[in-house]
Amino acid sequence: MAPLVFMKEIRKVYPEGTVALRGASFELLEGEVHALLGENGAGKTTLMKILYGELRPTSGEIYFRGERVSFRSPQEAMRRGIAMVHQSFALVPTFTVLENLYLAISSVRKVSQGEVRSRAAELGKELGIEVPLNARVEQLPAGMRQRAEILKALLLEAKVIILDEPTSLLTPFEAEALIALIRRLRAKGVSFVYVTHKLREVKEVADRVTVLRKGLNVGTLQARETSEAEMAKLMVGAAVERAKRRPPREVGEVVLEVEGLVARDEMGVERLRGVSFSVRAGEIVGIAGVQGSGQRELAEAIAGLRRPERGSIRVRGVEIAGKPPREARRLGVLYVPELREEGLALEMNIVENSILARQRGHARGPLVDWGSAEERARGLVERFKVVFGSLWDRAAALSGGNQQRLMVGRELSSRGALLIAHEPTQGLDVTSAEMVREEILRLRDEGMAVLLISSDLDEVLELSDRVIVLFEGRSVGELRGEEASIEKVGRLMGGAA
Amino acid sequence: MIAALSEVALALAAALAFSSLLLLALGYDAASSLLTMFSYGFGNPEYLAAVAAPLVLSALAFLIPFKAGMFNIGGEGQAYLGALLFLYASQGLGALGIAAGALAGALLGGLVGALRAFLGVNEVIASIMINWTLFYVTLFSVSKYLTHPEYPHRSIDVGFSLGAPYSLLLAALAALAAYALLYRTLLGYEIRVVGSSPRAAAYAGIDARRAAVISMAIGGLFGGLAGTLKVMYVGHIDATMSALFGVGFLGIGVALIGRANPLGSVASALLLAGMIIGGHWMELRLGTPPELTDVIVGTTVLVLSAPYALKLLLKGGGLGGG
Ligand SMILES: Nc1ncnc2c1ncn2[C@@H]1O[C@H](COP(=O)(O)OP(=O)(O)O)[C@@H](O)[C@H]1O
Ligand SMILES: [Mg+2]
Repeated sequence: MAPLVFMKEIRKVYPEGTVALRGASFELLEGEVHALLGENGAGKTTLMKILYGELRPTSGEIYFRGERVSFRSPQEAMRRGIAMVHQSFALVPTFTVLENLYLAISSVRKVSQGEVRSRAAELGKELGIEVPLNARVEQLPAGMRQRAEILKALLLEAKVIILDEPTSLLTPFEAEALIALIRRLRAKGVSFVYVTHKLREVKEVADRVTVLRKGLNVGTLQARETSEAEMAKLMVGAAVERAKRRPPREVGEVVLEVEGLVARDEMGVERLRGVSFSVRAGEIVGIAGVQGSGQRELAEAIAGLRRPERGSIRVRGVEIAGKPPREARRLGVLYVPELREEGLALEMNIVENSILARQRGHARGPLVDWGSAEERARGLVERFKVVFGSLWDRAAALSGGNQQRLMVGRELSSRGALLIAHEPTQGLDVTSAEMVREEILRLRDEGMAVLLISSDLDEVLELSDRVIVLFEGRSVGELRGEEASIEKVGRLMGGAA
Repeated sequence: MIAALSEVALALAAALAFSSLLLLALGYDAASSLLTMFSYGFGNPEYLAAVAAPLVLSALAFLIPFKAGMFNIGGEGQAYLGALLFLYASQGLGALGIAAGALAGALLGGLVGALRAFLGVNEVIASIMINWTLFYVTLFSVSKYLTHPEYPHRSIDVGFSLGAPYSLLLAALAALAAYALLYRTLLGYEIRVVGSSPRAAAYAGIDARRAAVISMAIGGLFGGLAGTLKVMYVGHIDATMSALFGVGFLGIGVALIGRANPLGSVASALLLAGMIIGGHWMELRLGTPPELTDVIVGTTVLVLSAPYALKLLLKGGGLGGG
């Protein structure tokens, strides 16, 4: 039997000249979950966008059920039953879920909104995909948005669903639900391409795995028979080692002191309900909690980007609650935000982004000292291994992982007293994530106070000298690093006393 | 750069093809019409400079606020005000009147910027209202206070004139200054960060309101200068406002054709100025109606700026954009 999808020796050169794929092949069988594994920038997204008709290959052939195809648009791919859920979702945020579904389906075939509604409700019930059809997308958490996208694919009668880094924005619980859903749909005959750079997920969800390295497929394995070590080796071409946690050398004075902090999100929901804690020089305090427990509001309030309702935030003894971000920066606060589009001006080039938030330090009188900015950018991309075409390329042209390395690198290579690192390794491959963790430990050892906020519980436990668990905007537990176990923290995250 | 140029060349070819078809359909000799337009249009460097100089400035008036994420269509009103104040001030102050015209534009722009920054008033709507108000204010002033004693249909003469070559030089220097401001100064950097992402600007501790006010004020300054240079060359404001009208609007097209780059605006202003002048020759030589010139110039602006404008729209207002 011919494979459902066969992509043969696909090459893709982007207009700027980046060679993203150098003859990669990929095969998907009917009814399988096939993981596509690779480091950031390996070309996974590019390969799948080509299958989905969003990009055209420079050369190579694509076969669908044995028949040569060449899709000119996602609509054409969707008509053949191929759907893709992007890394950053493609729903219109101000529309309701139903309107989004209707928008997508009516672009492929004639249908009424009523039909879409009843079919969506029916399918949703049958497959256990709970999505509030009348809610506006921007109000939904990431997990829901993703389910809405999957529902959209199913309404389009997709036979192949491509999920691009589907868990990168999900909480552990949402991720579990997603994997269960994939299993249910596979049982109904839907095939999946599961794009990821997380080794653990491959073992959990996939039947087979194809590893992509630098634009080439370097191996296809049975997921059950392989090991994480084997996959990692294929992926990076060398073995990697997890960072060992090491205790702090010495803890200094209090750098950050948060007291009774109350803050609301954009929708006016009270997200922080009286949080108090402190961070000393030379220690890492980790914040654990399911997504939406107030992490974002906490980070933003300290960075000066969100005005708290009540409470105080002192950095090196200076009250900064409600003060503009400049104030925090002046006191030596470094901030890795959760969202790249906040920490980077994506339309501006790498040099310009290298001095973002410290532009005044690269000024000579009223002029920008581009010489020193460029020097900084060069140092940054080298040290943090940012892969780029030219320093004058827009940051938007970098792959997600490279954007993350650029942003994290900029903050970590600055002088300061307090680092707020929110999801610092998000979207990074194993090697880079390890490097970033190493750098954070190094900064701590040099006496920086670090507030680490991460949805990767392993990461929090591995790095933190103290762990604070947030639940519904309150701190429900504070554990010393060595007493914080997955079980204990997990229970607290779930709201258990 | 090469891609950009070839894109412009292609668009230009398309615009010309369309114009030829239009001319043919209306019964004119397309080849000789367009030949007239382009040979005569660029035949008189001094006149070309005089028409192009204000366009360079009105393009800058649009472009600087545009880089801060705002849409300044108030260049038109700024030009009226600049022209009026220059006309008045140059009577006694001579060359210093130029500063009066520029300053008036800057204050007006800054005001609109402040309305937007502090009261959330949309700058486009505010500008449309102000444009029309100033249109009539200028008309009124010309026919009531500054009327020429012998020719009642127009204003008194300006008290100072630079002459065409120096006008263009001034415009080119302004473009260079705008370029340096945007790409060499801290202020320009901050303006561009605000324009490319308000969130990133907040993150970087940049005051977006300050950027809005300053960029609009600088835009207004150029808008005021555009009007100043225009009236300076014409010598007076006539009671139909025919010379001034459209200078600001055309600047938007000039800026977009020049890909929102100050230096690109100089090139595109020269191109459009040549076509406008050539259009008048076409009217004289071949008897084509003036509206036809407008259509041809308008089409060219549209076709030439469309690829770039579209790219901006798709990037900024596309799905998932906030
Ligand atoms: N739109 C684009 N323009 C130019 N280069 C791109 C674009 N998208 C991705 N690239 C480049 O192509 C390579 C592969 O990227 P991508 O397919 O996103 O990798 P992955 O999804 O495996 O992280 C990277 O070097 C990246 O910088
Ligand atoms: Mg990707």
